[in-house]
Amino acid sequence: MNNTKHFNVTIRVWRQEGPEEPGRMMAYKVNDVSPDMSFLEMLDLLNEDLIKKGGKPVTVESDCREGICGSCGLVVNGDVHGPDEHSTVCQLHMRRFKDGDVITVEPWRVKSFPLLKDLAVDRSALDRIMAAGGYISVNTGAAPDANSIPVNKDDAEEAMDSAACIGCGACVAACPNGAAMLFTGAKLSQFALLPQGQPERQRRVLGMLEAMDKEAFGNCSNEYECEAVCPKEVKISNIARLNREFLLANLFGKAEPAATSSHLISTPDVPEDE
Amino acid sequence: MNITFIKRIIFTSIGRKFVMAASGLLLGGFMLFHLAENLLLFKGEVAYNTWVDLLLSNPLLPLLELGLAAVFLAHIAAGTWVRIEDWLKAPSGYEARNWQGGRTIGSATMSYTAFLILVYLAYHMLTFRFVDHSIGFYQMVTSAFRSRLFVAVYVGGAAALVLHLTHGLQSAFQTLGVNHPKYTPFIKAGGWLVAVTMIGFALIPVYYLLNLDLTAATGTYQVTIQ
Repeated sequence: MNNTKHFNVTIRVWRQEGPEEPGRMMAYKVNDVSPDMSFLEMLDLLNEDLIKKGGKPVTVESDCREGICGSCGLVVNGDVHGPDEHSTVCQLHMRRFKDGDVITVEPWRVKSFPLLKDLAVDRSALDRIMAAGGYISVNTGAAPDANSIPVNKDDAEEAMDSAACIGCGACVAACPNGAAMLFTGAKLSQFALLPQGQPERQRRVLGMLEAMDKEAFGNCSNEYECEAVCPKEVKISNIARLNREFLLANLFGKAEPAATSSHLISTPDVPEDE
Repeated sequence: MNITFIKRIIFTSIGRKFVMAASGLLLGGFMLFHLAENLLLFKGEVAYNTWVDLLLSNPLLPLLELGLAAVFLAHIAAGTWVRIEDWLKAPSGYEARNWQGGRTIGSATMSYTAFLILVYLAYHMLTFRFVDHSIGFYQMVTSAFRSRLFVAVYVGGAAALVLHLTHGLQSAFQTLGVNHPKYTPFIKAGGWLVAVTMIGFALIPVYYLLNLDLTAATGTYQVTIQ
């Protein structure tokens, strides 16, 4: 049974040719929108129309379109990831809108995420935080026996909740200060809670924090906006854990220099080609 | 603890937040103590002046005062640094961005209430601390609170303080890593309770302005800065 009625909306979208080009909001009419369409499918419809008319399509990032990859991220009518709570923008559907709506679509406007084109931003700053400690150094090999490393059920659950972070950057986009503390806290917590994360625990927090501070992220002032928009409902207790880990690493850690991503790249044993 | 630790406290974002949080909690504790002291005004001249004399006779008082000033300065310095950095790094250019319920009036106005509190503190220092105390402390305070300007500054300052602490206290715990599903609601409620208690700083001057205490000193108080 198809009782859905197609409708028309106006999309006001940020257009910018490149990182250094000036950008501006442009309005487009999108006709024949089905309420069953996802928001990104509606943008596809707009792009098809733009291409048909010889225009340039709106650049927008997306991958899985099922809310688990973290590629998409738009500010829709002032709401990070759209009006639905704890959802990615690809999970937003046009049934949330009605005929004649004017919908404003903006990219993440974050200093540390330089705008590449239209709605796409460069979120590699988050990758650089990961490269500075968001890993464990082990020799992989055959899968270990399931019960060889006992993990408390509660810890496993909490680590999983932290690991749910998809790195979409909504926390930074929503933060009044543009801080990346929720991301960093979640990425740290997923290791800090598990036995596998213990050997590099102190080096990890110092390294990730150093990498975070190097980027143009602001300071966390506990506004809790990040938690309110996070599509994966990552909790601010992860930020508290990050703070705690930092304090403990300083009070009880060895006075070793903070790990940086450079120690992964530079291998002193191998002479450099000159 | 070593030099690296001190460097990390000053030159990392979390370190500066620790300074904010720890100094903030100390100042919050001091404010509670200071309010308790001031409530002695209601007990009358003898009780109040006895307490002040006891306080002044403590040889460690100048040291404590210096310590308090240092904590204030640390709080102001860390706050200013963090605020300026956040202004420079905050996301900008959004045509619209709706707050999603994390932000409160208190949290959104922290730097503004901080400035108002600083003005209040400066006024308080200039009129009560760095003045000639020969007329007696009880006389000085109760006669000053007959002045509308005084009371206006104190009510405004106390209001800013209440708003500042509604966010500040619970935020300090979060910054210091104290967050627990069971206890955080109590910490938040406790923070609010302490914040609201600061209304006391406004009630005291209003009490004297409205002449509710007939035993208090009358006449106008002349501020003479030493």
